[in-house]
Amino acid sequence: MEALLKVEDLKLYFRTTKGVVQAVDGVSFELASHTAMVIVGESGCGKSSLAKAILRLLPRNTHTYTGKIYIDGIDVMSLNDEQFRRQIRWQKISYVAQAAMNALNPVIKVGFQVAEPLLIHRRMRKEEALKKVVEAFQIVGVPTDFVDRYPFELSGGMRQRAVIAMALVTNPKLVILDEPTSALDVLTQANIMNALKRIKEEFELTYILITHDIATSSELAEKAMVMYAGQIVELGNAGHFYLEPLHPYSQKLMASVPTLREDKELDFIPGQPPSLINPPAGCRFAPRCPQRFSICDREPPMVDCGDGRKIKCHLYT
Amino acid sequence: MKQLRETFQELTRFKSALVGLGILAVIVALAIYTVITIPYGKAVRLWRGGEDMWRYNPVNAKPAWINYFTPRKLPQTRVLRSEEHAQMEEETVGKTSRKVTITYQFRYTADLPPSELALVYKPAFKKKRPLVSVTWVTPDGREYTFGRITVKSVSVHGRYWYSISRDQKLVQLFGTQNVEEGLFCRVDDMKRVQKGDHRVVITAYLFEPDASIETELVLYGTVHGLAGTDHLRRDIMVGLLWGTPVALSFGLAAALGTMITSVIIAALGAWFGGYADSLVQRLTEIRMIIPTLPILIMVGMFFSKSIWAILATLLVLNIIESSVKNYRAIFLQEKNAPYIEAARSYGAGHMRIIFRYLIPRVIPWLIPSFVLAVPSYVFLEAALAVLGLGDPVLPTWGKVLSDAYGRGALFQGHYYWVLEPAFMLMVTGFGFTMIGHALDRIFNPRLREI
Amino acid sequence: MIRLARYTFMRAIAIFFALVIGIFLTIVVANMGGYVDKIKKAQVEESISMSVFTNPAYKNLTTEEKRELIDKLVALELERLGLDKPFIRLDRNFLRSRAFKYLIDALTLNLGFAEHIHSTSGSKRVWIIIQERLPYSVLLFTSASLIVFFTSIYVALVLSRRYGSIWDRLSVSLAPLSTAPPWFYGVILILIFAASLRLLPFGGFVSIPPPKNPFAYALSVILHMILPLSAWFISGIFASVYSWRTFFLIYSSEDYVEMARAKGVPGRELERRYILRPTLPPIITSFALMLISAWMGAIITESVFKWPGLGSLYMEAINSFDTPVIVGLTMIYAYLLGITVFVLDFIYALVDPRIKVGGGSAI
Repeated sequence: MEALLKVEDLKLYFRTTKGVVQAVDGVSFELASHTAMVIVGESGCGKSSLAKAILRLLPRNTHTYTGKIYIDGIDVMSLNDEQFRRQIRWQKISYVAQAAMNALNPVIKVGFQVAEPLLIHRRMRKEEALKKVVEAFQIVGVPTDFVDRYPFELSGGMRQRAVIAMALVTNPKLVILDEPTSALDVLTQANIMNALKRIKEEFELTYILITHDIATSSELAEKAMVMYAGQIVELGNAGHFYLEPLHPYSQKLMASVPTLREDKELDFIPGQPPSLINPPAGCRFAPRCPQRFSICDREPPMVDCGDGRKIKCHLYT
Repeated sequence: MKQLRETFQELTRFKSALVGLGILAVIVALAIYTVITIPYGKAVRLWRGGEDMWRYNPVNAKPAWINYFTPRKLPQTRVLRSEEHAQMEEETVGKTSRKVTITYQFRYTADLPPSELALVYKPAFKKKRPLVSVTWVTPDGREYTFGRITVKSVSVHGRYWYSISRDQKLVQLFGTQNVEEGLFCRVDDMKRVQKGDHRVVITAYLFEPDASIETELVLYGTVHGLAGTDHLRRDIMVGLLWGTPVALSFGLAAALGTMITSVIIAALGAWFGGYADSLVQRLTEIRMIIPTLPILIMVGMFFSKSIWAILATLLVLNIIESSVKNYRAIFLQEKNAPYIEAARSYGAGHMRIIFRYLIPRVIPWLIPSFVLAVPSYVFLEAALAVLGLGDPVLPTWGKVLSDAYGRGALFQGHYYWVLEPAFMLMVTGFGFTMIGHALDRIFNPRLREI
Repeated sequence: MIRLARYTFMRAIAIFFALVIGIFLTIVVANMGGYVDKIKKAQVEESISMSVFTNPAYKNLTTEEKRELIDKLVALELERLGLDKPFIRLDRNFLRSRAFKYLIDALTLNLGFAEHIHSTSGSKRVWIIIQERLPYSVLLFTSASLIVFFTSIYVALVLSRRYGSIWDRLSVSLAPLSTAPPWFYGVILILIFAASLRLLPFGGFVSIPPPKNPFAYALSVILHMILPLSAWFISGIFASVYSWRTFFLIYSSEDYVEMARAKGVPGRELERRYILRPTLPPIITSFALMLISAWMGAIITESVFKWPGLGSLYMEAINSFDTPVIVGLTMIYAYLLGITVFVLDFIYALVDPRIKVGGGSAI
């Protein structure tokens, strides 16, 4: 089965006053349909930038944007902006932004905003589109009379759900969610996670879930990708990652997560991630890695460990 | 202090800010120089003029440097004193009378005739007034005799001025031409100056044994000094120079006073919330409806035009000013910041929080607005002056502009009179605004992202 | 709808309240040092003396007796007008004090009689004089503001799309040109176009004598409007463009704009709905403040161009020391400002759904 999403050597660099930030530095992976992949990593590791790179939401100061992206077989990078807008945006991929409470236009009614993709891409009439919005609201759990309200009239949790509804309304194949629950309370988090799971099954969606909250995402994740300093360091089944992480960084990550039943001494990683401006040669995690050895000052290869598992570390060559 | 240096370094990134700083440095230097060289009292006296302070200046003369830009050579004022530039001969005529003949001989080579001609008599006598008359010989030999009068020792400085330009006989003689043209231009081509040697002979009869007389022949130029002169012969440079410290201090004082009170009130309203906040908002609305300039006009008309009165009124009016709205918005945001909460939790009193934490935090934000506000006050003072309500004793840019406009400078072609104060106003405004905009880009966090 | 109506009503009340207080303060200021009272007293004495001296019924009285009569009548009149009592009576009788009476007069636009100026219809009533001049100011002023407003929004939108381009950087560096008020550029423009090049008229509303043909008349007016409008335009446009463009840039980096782009909202719609619409509130606020300061600047601008509006009326009144006109003008200005704030508050409410009922001025 052809993968729904195929990314090859994707690079996204930004120009800043201090230099060129290599936010996404040669990322390659594949994602099959109906799979939920979680991308984890520290802040600044490039996971949000990766999402933006896939969605072509490039900032003004973009320096480099190269690589290949295949969505549903289409070579997306070869499309111009207008083609991308018409064929890909919200047709193939949709997006739930980080801090979605700000993702809604304050002066336009929520219902209209959720209906907007339908008006643009499916050329529906307003009444028809709003009917669909009501359906979407029911699925995510937003009271249907909120269609006529303005964003400031909804609570944070409701806004988040509305944005999720917005991402579903055109039945895209792939939904990228960037920290969908990090700004919410624990109860709402759980509710939304459950809703996401339900929706995935019902509509046969594919997810990319970006988070730094490893615990919450474990419910939903089928595949896991660990990013560090703009690169993928571990990629594989969620089960493998959660139970038996192989990359030293992944191991440290899992060790820092408290478990419910065990009396675990929490670990932390000393030091800081490297600057993405002129990143050091060799393994980027080496300065902080407890298992480093002499060869680690050379760029580690992406090692295929079988069973769809890939690790970027000298330990596994 | 370190923050100041950092800010300065960031500022230098912007070319416009550098230009602005340069301009401002020049203006401030000018202001300081002016206040030192022409102290307040002297400036007021100079500007009031009167008596013979400016008498040796031509009326409405253009600035002297214009000569570099025109093909024609424009004359500057020449004062020919009998002691140096003339030959004096004395002849005894009768028992106690003497006839003194003062002969001037000078060459005139400018391309335009003088703007005015005058004779200054400096006689010394006790009772019997000297009798004088003048004979003028032009380069082409025409002779004119006029000005037969008795000299009174009128002025304080012992000078008696006689205007050759208004001599009745000459005025009638030359008809449509004015006297200067008549004496200095060619007969065949009345537009062109006849260059050559003039001879002016002054014959004076003295009736006392120890009486004496000196004269000065004043050929008024059409250009003068760095800035030209106005209708009262005043050197406009005095107005331009003194306008600098006035504009600066007025602008800064008004902007500063306004900002201080408005910030404090905005902080109080935002911090205490509830009724206090509503009160502040209502007061701000009332203030927005009170028309500033009309009130200042009324004060100027009914009360006093002194610049202090205007400044005081402005400061009182601006205790609350429309920018309170902006400040309030910022304070409302900052109010919930964690460090404020921390201060409250350790028991800091309201005033302490407001003045020690809230307001200082917001100062970087305020600086650009302050800098940008200064020029508007500078222009406000100029506006009042243009309306005729400027300070009556101080020479300011607005005053020069209003004199120029009131005397129809534009109709008479005295463009320099209008352009010079306009230039000063513009350049000062520019300097502040350029710096202000650059500061805005540094301090306004929202703009930093761009 | 109801919310809007309620908000409008509350604002009207608040502004009226502010207006009353503002005008009251103006009256107090106007009478500083008892100046206005002195004028009034002199007026009363003059008119009574005149009437007594010309009244045939009193012809037979001696000058002495006439004087006595005048003094008596003056005292009566002064008492009637309340001029014998203090200006503001801070006791139960406040409502009978002159200050209050003047306040009511001002609010009902009973602005008294001018001393020297009169309208072209011959009336000396201040309100009539002002009424005559008002339309000219409104004509010039409204067209200038609208031109500046729409031009700067359009240009700013275009510029915000091309951030960092040469035009963008040019607009930023030219922004300081707006420090100079309109009258300043007016003087320069007159110097260039009227005095030097003799292309356009020095000032006034229409050429003298005015053309009979309505088409030629309109043309002449337009010709006369070119310089004042240009002066206003030059003064206002640079700062406007700079500030709107900065607003647009700031607002176009908002999260919801990125979201809309991600959704695939096409360029024009994105601009209109996601950048322009949310920015309208602060744009309207800053436009309001600009208008208000422009009202002030209008005084001199009109004088410079001899445009027959309220501004040059001010100039005339100052020059002829016509107190009632000055005071009346100040009142009218307060009204104009009040109306401006009210109208803009209303527009603001139309545009921003976040305005809550009972909230303060949006401006």
